[in-house]
Parts: sequence; structure tokens; C-alpha cells
Amino acid sequence: MSYPKTVVDDIGNQYPRKNLLLTRDADEVAIQAYKERIQEARTAEKAFLAQKAERKSTFLQSVDDPDRSIRHWLAAANESEALAAFYQPLVDLDYDFELDYRQNLEIADQLPEIAAGRRQMLDLRDQTKKALIEAKKTGQKEEVAEFRRLRKERLAQLDQENKELKAAYKKRMISAKAFSNEKREDALAARDQIRVLRRQLPVNAEKERLRYARHRLRQDRKSHLRVLNSDLSDLRRKTPVETTRRKPLISYLTWPLPGLGQLVVGQGIKALFFFIGSLFLYLVAIPYALGRGNYRGKGLFGLVSLAQDGSRLDRSVIFMVEGVIAIILLVMGLLLLYQSFRDVRRVEKQMIRGIRRANWFETRTSVRRNGFPFFASAPAALVTLFIVLLPIAVTILISFTNYDPSHQSKFSWAGLANYKQIVLGQGIAGGPFWHITGWTVIWTLFATSLAILIGFVLALLVNQDRIYGKRLFRTVYLLPWAVPAFITIMFFSIMFSPDGPLTSVLSSLTGQITNIKYSTWGTRIVLILLQGWLGSSYVFLLCTGILQGIPKDLYEAARIDGATGFQATRHITIPILLFQTAPLMIGQYTFNFNNFSIIYLFNGGGPFEPTKYGNIAGSSDLLISYIYKLTIQKQYQGIGSAITLIVSLVLIFIAWVGFSRSKAFREERL
Amino acid sequence: MKKKKEKGLYLSDRPPLTAVKVGMLGLSYVLLFFYVFVILWPLAQILFASFNGNHGSYIQIGVSFSFSMKHFQYLFGKTYFLNWVWNTILIALATAALTLLFVSFTGYAYSRYRFKGRKASLMAIMLIQTIPSFAGIAAFYTLHSIIASIAPWFSRQMFLILIYAGGGIAGNTFILKGYIDSISSELDDAARIDGCGNLQVYRLIIMPIVRPMLAVIALWSFIGPFLDFMLPSILLNDPRSYTLATGLHTLINDVRNMHQPVFAAGGLLTAVPIIILFIALQKQLVSGLASGAVKG
Repeated sequence: MSYPKTVVDDIGNQYPRKNLLLTRDADEVAIQAYKERIQEARTAEKAFLAQKAERKSTFLQSVDDPDRSIRHWLAAANESEALAAFYQPLVDLDYDFELDYRQNLEIADQLPEIAAGRRQMLDLRDQTKKALIEAKKTGQKEEVAEFRRLRKERLAQLDQENKELKAAYKKRMISAKAFSNEKREDALAARDQIRVLRRQLPVNAEKERLRYARHRLRQDRKSHLRVLNSDLSDLRRKTPVETTRRKPLISYLTWPLPGLGQLVVGQGIKALFFFIGSLFLYLVAIPYALGRGNYRGKGLFGLVSLAQDGSRLDRSVIFMVEGVIAIILLVMGLLLLYQSFRDVRRVEKQMIRGIRRANWFETRTSVRRNGFPFFASAPAALVTLFIVLLPIAVTILISFTNYDPSHQSKFSWAGLANYKQIVLGQGIAGGPFWHITGWTVIWTLFATSLAILIGFVLALLVNQDRIYGKRLFRTVYLLPWAVPAFITIMFFSIMFSPDGPLTSVLSSLTGQITNIKYSTWGTRIVLILLQGWLGSSYVFLLCTGILQGIPKDLYEAARIDGATGFQATRHITIPILLFQTAPLMIGQYTFNFNNFSIIYLFNGGGPFEPTKYGNIAGSSDLLISYIYKLTIQKQYQGIGSAITLIVSLVLIFIAWVGFSRSKAFREERL
Repeated sequence: MKKKKEKGLYLSDRPPLTAVKVGMLGLSYVLLFFYVFVILWPLAQILFASFNGNHGSYIQIGVSFSFSMKHFQYLFGKTYFLNWVWNTILIALATAALTLLFVSFTGYAYSRYRFKGRKASLMAIMLIQTIPSFAGIAAFYTLHSIIASIAPWFSRQMFLILIYAGGGIAGNTFILKGYIDSISSELDDAARIDGCGNLQVYRLIIMPIVRPMLAVIALWSFIGPFLDFMLPSILLNDPRSYTLATGLHTLINDVRNMHQPVFAAGGLLTAVPIIILFIALQKQLVSGLASGAVKG
């Protein structure tokens, strides 16, 4: 049971203990004497502090400054001087006294200067006010007349300059661009000079001076007080503290009520903020989790019961969503609790070592500096939490229930039943899963590769040296990307409809009625071609951009080495293109994997093949449009969610692989 | 006035054309013009169909062309086209504004500050952006009715805006962060020494420099709602509150309400401004896409 012999301040300096009660090797007599001296000092301090008001009023009688701030500051400086004198002999006794002494010395030193500076500014302000009134009274007729004359002169000069410029331009001594620039510059210069002249008019000048004085009065107060405060906090950091505590026990006070620990340690304003936070915990998060203030659900309990025992109108899905909201709110509350605990614990541990707790000025400064990223991303984090993550969590939960057409209002937990159905390809909803997955993979590979191929080839062709009309080709090839895809898809859908123009064309070509939309492979091939048409623009634009960036000397070097144009393309252009566009092309594959619009809008996922696909999916449905049909149209939300989850996991995995190989990640440059 | 080239003296800095090369060049032109035709033909069909007064409810081949504005008259008179345009523009503007607001803060914070959990949350952002926004469809209705029970003015359209903006936060934060990373932080240090606070550094130093990227992000967030069909078709239930994509779809998805030429007219009116936007700003749009992927 002993205390270390030295205490440490914030910078790591060691100080000997002053408090004999806490040192081991002091003898009884010395300790007794120390105790008495401390006792005495404390009583004297109390008595001295009690006379504060008296000292203030006697001092203020000698101050005749009308400004309230100055009177206040001077009084405070006087008080600090007295306190410093009082504490000076006590400095050896205790570090608290030492800190008081040094801080008061600092205040007594700085405040009078600050007050003097303010007085000066106030005097300037008052003088200027008087001068302004004076100037207004006498009027400025002569000066205005003089100003007008000067302005006229200046404008005439500007005219003269303009004329000279014009002449120079006419003689072709300067370019059109230089002419217009010079003209503008001259006009600006003239305007500025006239402005300066106007400001020099007596009334305007005094007004300007008055504004300056007022601005300085506001700013100086702020900045000077900030400097004083940070000097004081410097002293706090360099003066240790001694405490009898050995273990950080106060921090446990924050478990029942965040903020209580801070209050006990002496950080009142910080405690206030944590109290507000604990209002959230006790008035929002916990009641909500217990079912109070829910929309329909029962807080956390709703997650267990899923409204099975509720009334007829209670819906399981609402209970589930509110259960998830309750979890999120609770986690937020508990995080707050933990933060509060950790905060007090850290302060306490530091105090035991000898480091003083931060005062409000220091806390505020550090929160402003270190807390900014958290405040700045808080709104975005909240939206992401409730609009993005919450629905995903609910989807995950739903995938473990039997939410289907016969259990719309009330459903219950069903374990892995949905996943089993999917994997085994059983049931109405799970049956076509593997067929659809197969077609989704084929579609993704072929449609994307076709688009990339077309875009690639077009980019190579257009960017040949000898092709003229590059701009025209580029603009036209941009069009499929620029026209909103839903419009083109819907229009192609019209053209391929049973009576549509393209159906007629195809029928007359083949000699028999060719209805693409009724044929599985017909639809599929047209879809792939259509996506090739739609997706090529983007690839084309990207490749064009990269091709234009390839340095020409590479090709020159190749030609000198005897390469033909074809070889140069094969060994220079294509590798660079492939290398630079690879990540974006992976993006194109994932895009097509989820390309809902084209499937749904072209043929509604059809044609239907009930023997193979059941009556929910069509034969051109992708996983995403199948999910859409399951969850939105046919109300098989359980299985739909399970498929969503599988698809998302696959996508995350692909993205993760791509990302973990990227340069940014490997070089730790996040 | 070009001088006639002297015979036998080859002045171009390109290698002379051989017969094979002439052939290849010709083939290139043939292919290029063929693809121009492939692109323009369907688009031209939309154009002709929307002005052809001889079309009835269906677009058919072999119908002679007679210029008429009747499809446009129908579009403005008998459908909610103006509502759809108005809705889409409002949703797009709100989405762009919200996204910009969120992303400015997060991009700046993630680029310039080192804080606890930064790397973990960046990783989380990275993974979140790959989860498609349809992943939550099962919960969207319920979530909306819960929010609407607290705030009755919260319409489905506003929810749509929130989903768009919320879904865009992750990816756009990544893009903007990458862009801000490329700006020297000595600029901020200088500003800080001169007394700028956190937000002032962003407003006065960073924002003017990243304005091009902010424009790209705003542009893409603005265009998004014009192109999306799935989410509005799930969330919006009143034809008057539809966006352009869902609204125009009503003109062709149902036999009773089938007006294919009117759809073509509406599609034309929608496409033209967007095409102009794309052609004018193609460089910025592509650079935005590319930087997002490369930095990611």
C-alpha cells in the first residue's frame, strides 16, 4: 500500500511528491507538522476567498472606466494579483497551491494588457464617431466636387488608353486576345482607383475607420482570451496533481448513469452532455426495446414472437423491423455508456499518475479537433444505418422464416428451410433456382463480353491514324449510352412484339412467322445482342480515353524496330487497354449480373416454360428479376430474401477479391 | 492553296500506303459506318414513330409517314407526363443535393483525418457499396410506414430520395476521398495556421479544388433517378407520383392502355435533354466513373 515517489505531468516530466501524507519515508513528526500546515493553509484560503467581493468593490472604486468588460477584467486581474501573493508562500505545500499561484500570476500579467488594448480601441471608436458626426455636419461639398473632377479626369484617361489600345490593335501590333484582356485590365484599374478616391472622402473614410474599430473590438476579445486560456491550460499540463486514490473506481459510477462519473471527477459541462446522452438511453432506446413507443411491434420481444400471439391485424414483418430498430438503438445506447465509462476511466488513471484532468476549455478544443470526423460523418452514418443496413438486416432475418403467400400476415422462424429448398431446387419457388442461375451466368458472361468486344474493336478502329471524322463517330457511338436505357429497351420490346416492325422483318426474311418473344433462345440471343448494343458505348468511351493517353513515342520506337502496324497494336495497344480497363470491366460484369431493367422491360422475363420453370419465373429471368418476382409480385419473401442473400454474398466476395488485389489496398494507402 | 506534290517525293511522316493497307482502311470505314447505321436506325425509328400520325395504338411496319403532333398532344393532354417530368426532376435534384451534402463531409473527413475505426469503416463502405440497393426490398414498405407513422408528411417519393442518396453515400465517399487525397495537405496546414477551423478549411481551400469532382458526383446522382426503373416501380403506387421510367412504362405494359407511339414521343422528349447533357459533359462523366473504379 504505497504511492510512487514521483508524479508525472502530461509531457512526461517527473516531479517529487509534495504531499508528505503520501510519501513513505517521512517521519511522524514531519507528517504531523505537514498536516497542521495544510490545515492552516486551507482555513486561511477560505477566509481569504471570502473577502473577494470586498476586495472587488474597493478596487472598483479606483477604476473609472465606463466599459463593463474592462472594469471586469481589471477587477479580475487585481484579484489574481492578490491571490498570487497569497499563494506564493504555500507553493511548497501542495501542487494545487502551486498551480493556483502560477495561474493567478499569469492572469494578473495578461489581463491588464488585454484591457489596455481594448481601451485603446474603444478610444479610437469614440474618436471616429465624433469625427464622423463632425464630418457630416461640415459636409463635404468641396471634397465631392474634387472627387467628381478627379473621377472625370480618370475616366477621360481610361478613354485615352482605350483609344491607344484600339489603334495598336488596328495596326496589328497586338492580338485580339491581348486587346480584350488589356481593355478589361484598364477598366478594372480605373474602377479601383475611383473606388479608392471615393473612400477617401471624409465621411466615407470615417465610416470605414469606425467599421475597422468595431471589428477589432469583437475579434481582439475572442483571440486574446483564447491565448490566455491556452496559456493557463499549459500551466495545467505542466503542474502535476496528487490524489489519494489508487484505483479508478469512480468510472463504475457511469454504468448506471453516463455522465455521473464525469460530474464526480469535476468535469461538469462534459457531464451535462453525457446526461443528455443518457436521456436517449433511458427515454428512447430502452423503452423502445421493451416495446414502448413502437409503431405496431413489441420491441425486442417482437423478434422472438413475430406477432404469433398478437391480434389479427398485427403483422410479423412489422414486428421484425421494429425488433431490428430496437437492437440498433440499444447498441447505440450501450456504445454511449461504454464511451462514458472509458472516458472517466482514462481521466482517473491519468490523475493517479499525476496528470490533471482537462478543464472545459481543453475538452472543447480537443473535441473540436479530434471529434470533427465523427460529427461530419454522423448524418451519413445515420442514413446508411437506417436506410441501407437496416433493410439488409431485415432481409437476412426474413430469409430464415417461412414468409410466403400463405403466411403473409403471420410467419414464423423456419431455420434453414429456404436455403435447403434453393440448394436442392425444390418447391414452387426454389425449383427453378439452378436453371435461372445457369442462365444468369451465361447472360453475364456473353452479354458483357460482347459489349466489351464491340466497344474495344470500335475504339481501335476509330482511333486509327488515317480515319477521318473521328468526332462524328465518337458522338454517334456515345448515343446508346446517352439515351436512357429504359427507353431503348422498351422500344426494342415494342419492335419485337408480335405485330412489331422487327418481327415482320424477321418473318419475311425467314419465310415463316418468327416471334422472338415466344422462343426461349430467341429472346435470350436478342437480349445479349441488345446489351451488346447498349453496353458498347461505355467501353468505347473508356478505351478511347485510354488510347488517347498512350504516348506516341512507344509506337515510334516500335516502328524503328521494324514492327508492322498490326504488331504494334497487338503488343502495345491491346495490353495497355486490357490492363487499364480491367477493374472497370469487372464492374461491367457485376452490373450485368444485376441488370434488372433489360430483362424485366424487354419480355418480362418470359417466355414462360412452366414445365421447367414453374409459373413464377420465365426462361429469360435473371436471379435479380426472379427475386423481384418472388418478393414483390408473388410474395414469396422468405425464399426471395434467401436468394438475395446468396447473390449479395457472391458479389461481396468478388468485390473483395478485386479490392484486396488493388494497388491502394496493398500499399496501405487507404 | 496546296502545291501539287512533286512526283516521287514522299512528304508525309506516316509510312506510305500499300494496297493491303488501303483495303484495311476501306474495311474499317465499312465497319464503322455499318455500326453507325446499327445505332442510328432504332433511334431514328423512335423519332419517326413519335411524329407519324398514321400509327394508332401500335407501331407497325409499312405504315406510310404523315407528320403529325397528335401523339405529343395525347402525351401532354391525356397522360400525367408533366407530373412525371416534375417528379423526376424534383427527386433527381433532391438526391443530388443530399448526396453532395453527405459526401462532402464524409469524403473530407476520411481523407484528411485519422481517427479510430477509420480503416474498418472504409472497408465496410467498400463492401456496402457492392450490396445492390434491391437487397432490402422486403423491408422497404414496412420501413416507410413506420417512418410515416412518426412523420405523416413523409411521402414515398421522399423515401425514394433517401434510398437513392443513402445508396450513393458509400461509393461516392470513396471517389471523393480519393480525389481529396491527391490534393497536398500543405494547403490545409497553411490555412489552419492562418486560423481556419475544420469547416473553413473545407469551404475555402478544399471545395474550390474538388469542385469538378463534386460536379461529377452531383451529375451522376442527378441522372440516376432518370434511369432507374426498379425502385420507383416497387415504391410508388399512384400514377401521378410516378417518375418518367415507370410512367412511360404504363403506356406500353397493358393492352387497355397501349399507346406505343405516345411512348415513343415521351421517350424522345426524355432522351433529348439527357443526350445533350451526355455529349456536352462526356469527358467529366467518364472521368468520374473511371476514377471511382481505379481508386477503389
